[in-house]
Amino acid sequence: MAGSTDTAGAPADRLGRLRATALSVYAGLFYAVLYLPILLLVVLSFNDSQSIGLPFKGVTLRWFEEVLGSSAMRTSIANSVLLGIASSVIATVLALMLALGFRNDFAFKNLLMKVVLLPILVPGIVGGVIYLVFFGYAELPFGVWSTALPVHITWVLPFAFLTLFPRVHGLDRSLEEAAADLGARPWVTFRRVTFPLIKPGVVATTMFAFTLSFDEFIRTLFSIGNERTVPVHLWSLLSDQMAPFLPAVGVVIMAISMMVSLAGFALSARADRRPR
Amino acid sequence: MTLNARTRGTLLVLPATLWLLLFAVAPLVLLVAMSFWTSSIFGTTPDLTLDNYRVIVEEPIYLKVLLQTLRIAVTVTLISLLLSYPMAYFIATRPMSRKNTFLVLLFLPFWSSYVVRTFVWLPMLGRNGLVNSVLLQLGVIDQPLEWLLYNEGTTHLALVYVYTLFMVLPIYLSLDRIDPRLIEAAADLGAGPWRTFRRVILPLSMPGVLSGCVMVFLLACGAYVTPQLVGGTTGIMFGNVIAPQYTVTNNWALGAALSVVLIVVVFLCLALFGRKVRLNDVFVGG
Repeated sequence: MAGSTDTAGAPADRLGRLRATALSVYAGLFYAVLYLPILLLVVLSFNDSQSIGLPFKGVTLRWFEEVLGSSAMRTSIANSVLLGIASSVIATVLALMLALGFRNDFAFKNLLMKVVLLPILVPGIVGGVIYLVFFGYAELPFGVWSTALPVHITWVLPFAFLTLFPRVHGLDRSLEEAAADLGARPWVTFRRVTFPLIKPGVVATTMFAFTLSFDEFIRTLFSIGNERTVPVHLWSLLSDQMAPFLPAVGVVIMAISMMVSLAGFALSARADRRPR
Repeated sequence: MTLNARTRGTLLVLPATLWLLLFAVAPLVLLVAMSFWTSSIFGTTPDLTLDNYRVIVEEPIYLKVLLQTLRIAVTVTLISLLLSYPMAYFIATRPMSRKNTFLVLLFLPFWSSYVVRTFVWLPMLGRNGLVNSVLLQLGVIDQPLEWLLYNEGTTHLALVYVYTLFMVLPIYLSLDRIDPRLIEAAADLGAGPWRTFRRVILPLSMPGVLSGCVMVFLLACGAYVTPQLVGGTTGIMFGNVIAPQYTVTNNWALGAALSVVLIVVVFLCLALFGRKVRLNDVFVGG
């Protein structure tokens, strides 16, 4: 949709311009409110003060030193990153196969679509306790790899599918058919024709999946036992006490997920620009 | 040998299907079953009783918090809608070259955990937070305001802040799909801007509005972190009565029944409004 064009006389023009200005001012305010708390957090992460808050008493890097120097934080970051990589790769592979399969007809296709969406539709808190009950009842030892990994894969899978499906669906099937006519086996067709075509989308999906896993909290809290990812670590610090280094923890989390997301966004924008 | 299309489709979807049956469907089935079990200090034992549901009906606190949760979720959804629609309209009417910039600017704050996005309100509204500091500096108040945090209002504010992207995005996408020629046609036929908006743009953007509303409502219903962190005692929601059954009292069966109640409420709402929702728009951006 482009801007509407007022073709009426001058007064309507003025009114139209007024409306456009009002809309721009509103958008400016919206962005300001969106960013103000985040900028404040960044400012406070450098604040040389024992309590979280104002006034600003001078610049220090010690909160970052403390945060990045603590072994608990480093373990949490390592857990989050490894968990994010493992779950995003596995979920993307499962989702890609699912998306490819959805191009064909098979039994219970509509029902399966609903099942795929289930992990997203279950309310957050229930999505957490459900795994405490499930793994607790199965008497599985709770931890990053035994329980949090399957939870993260399940959580990320629907998103990965929803991102990949339109891309896979939009593929020109005649290219694959041509490869098959020329004698390529299905696997070769996939590796040499299909995959190169959707590769940018797959990479972008993996990166989005990573940030979804990296930022996931409630399902992780209930399924990770005594181990911690970064958001879980932040939560435990928050419930403990208002330590002065908390803003720095928040800034570190934000920095990591924003960077990966931005890269993913850039990649997927590039993939979309390319003709299919 | 080539497999026929049907078999290939089945084989391709099989791994994910098995995975989801094990890790999405089975836990849900166990939860529903457990809601009919009995929890005691010795653990949770398989049973077939309605006692947990009786407790939920008889203890007024559960119904009260459930209603409060629905009220908060509806209010948050409406506030988000009012705030997000103009924003979506703004982005949709930018020139092609700048749309992406405004979109990224919008996305950026949401690319971090909602724990962080909720936490940022503590230094905003706390005793020596930004709002109090500014008001003190300006001489509007001479004591820090204590009521800015830890009440129902704060829960509303933080939930809107945390989830409003899920409203802007689907509305933007449905606005973006509108053929500009339709708007020109309306103008050519003599409709003023307001009438064009009301009769052409608004109806055509309804799918996005509906998707956004359902999504924000769903997310707000399942909230736990936000009310826990900034809601104090008056701003609690249903998530805050479910979690303690597992973290404090170890009453798994009652917790399961409470979860089932929340799921039923949410799924009912989805069945009512969810038909026209394009999930694709909500989560991925088209």
